[in-house]
Amino acid sequence: MLELILQALYSGLLAGGYYAMIALGLALVFGTMRIINLAHGELVLLAAYVAFEMERSFGWTPLASIPVALVVVGLTALVIYLLIGRIRQDRELNSLILTFGIAIVLTNLILMIWSADIRSTSNSWFMDGVVLGDTLFSMRGEVIFCVIGVLLLAATYWWLNHTWQGRALRAVASNRDAAKLMGVNPARIEALSFLVSGVLATFAGVAVYTASVVFPAVGHNLTIKAFVITVLAGMGSVPGVLLGAVLIGVGETLTTTLAKPSLQELTGMVIFLLILFLRPSGLFGRKGMVKK
Amino acid sequence: MTPLLEVSGLRAGYGQINVLWDVDLTVEEGKTTVIVGPNGAGKTTLLRTLMGLVYASAGSMTLHGQTLKGGKTWDIVERGMVMIPEGRMVFPDMSVLDNLMMGAYPRAGRADWETRLERVFAMFPRLKERRGQMAGLMSGGEAQMLAMGRGLMENPQVLLIDEPSLGLAPVIVDEIFTILADLKAQGLTIVLVEQNTSRALHLADHVYLMRSGKTILSQPAAEVDLGHLHDLYFARDGGSAAVG
Repeated sequence: MLELILQALYSGLLAGGYYAMIALGLALVFGTMRIINLAHGELVLLAAYVAFEMERSFGWTPLASIPVALVVVGLTALVIYLLIGRIRQDRELNSLILTFGIAIVLTNLILMIWSADIRSTSNSWFMDGVVLGDTLFSMRGEVIFCVIGVLLLAATYWWLNHTWQGRALRAVASNRDAAKLMGVNPARIEALSFLVSGVLATFAGVAVYTASVVFPAVGHNLTIKAFVITVLAGMGSVPGVLLGAVLIGVGETLTTTLAKPSLQELTGMVIFLLILFLRPSGLFGRKGMVKK
Repeated sequence: MTPLLEVSGLRAGYGQINVLWDVDLTVEEGKTTVIVGPNGAGKTTLLRTLMGLVYASAGSMTLHGQTLKGGKTWDIVERGMVMIPEGRMVFPDMSVLDNLMMGAYPRAGRADWETRLERVFAMFPRLKERRGQMAGLMSGGEAQMLAMGRGLMENPQVLLIDEPSLGLAPVIVDEIFTILADLKAQGLTIVLVEQNTSRALHLADHVYLMRSGKTILSQPAAEVDLGHLHDLYFARDGGSAAVG
């Protein structure tokens, strides 16, 4: 039994790596624009299907398809950004309707092009088993993308804290008018946050395709999961996002092991409600941030 | 000589609500212009309008003879005009150092941000001690100094300062006015909005009084009669308003 629990913890930890990538992208855009991009999970899904198409048509490994996916997802993110830019009134509220609509369009486009079948990589190298300490089992793809996820998160964290643009992004998220007074053009920073969010979504999408399975309805699920993690973390905290992602990942795998897989989603929501009840500003959020 | 900053007939507000009705203001280079007036007179709105944060619906405003109307805040900053908002507008979840570095964000500032930082630390030694601290954890006085230091990091030619003494202990207010006097002595053009009339008058070359969104008095500081100014300030209009 202990072995099973340890295995569940380990698998949950690995899943946390790509959950964190998805959630951080959502959090960055929310930080700068006060917008929840409900099509974020579909961007992740799009990257996954690009990887699928490259593998099916040209036999590329998922890693090789990342540059192509970056272009496709980056352009799509840009289109979403430009569409949001056309909202003239009540951007916070109307953007929800807009991005929800975009999500539906993207899901159905994916359904039209790639059908509703469940897809996953057929590249056996990524599916080879990796055994840790004789007992903990995982696929090579899971480990690789968990490491990539953590590295990307660390890179984003460094970028936010040690570059002019990263600092400007935090400044815009913190106080928009004050940021303008520092010579920052918030529109450029918003576009930048969308772009970084797209990069994170791309890697996450290829990770999901390699380490798990995808089908068109997954995008919606991922958006909700990313939103839950972001709120858990307390908006805008990178370490918080990582912790929240691991928490959700572990919660889900433990449920699968100890109860049954169909209760997975429920566990995530229960954790979510519990933490909101106990710490309304999130795990890493400061008091008073809730008021925003 | 054309004035550095000139405003005439300015009208501005938020959406349907008009705040500034008819504002005239002339700021000479190297001089300190003080704007006093009661709460809600539109002093802060005037500064925000000059910086392009509030939309100006009528009138004109020029910096170095070129219009500011329709200008974007970030462009105006690059043209040399900087506003120091009240201390509560620091970035609370960023460190003191990161806050200061934001002042050097415009391209021209990035090259010599370290020199500028040394200068600001020399003026505000306390910021140097606290540079790793989150700005949101500072006291009101420290936050005000941070806001000032951050504004000075932008290397302004014209400095707009919004109520630097608001809600601060007298000792801190002394410190802040000493620094303002230093900046004035260095030849910086300053537009200071203050409710602390007597304090501000010591610093002023020229004084404006605003009430209900209008400039109702404009006088060289030397000619200002504090009693008369207070009468106007508190709307105890016995005498006629002297409009300069």
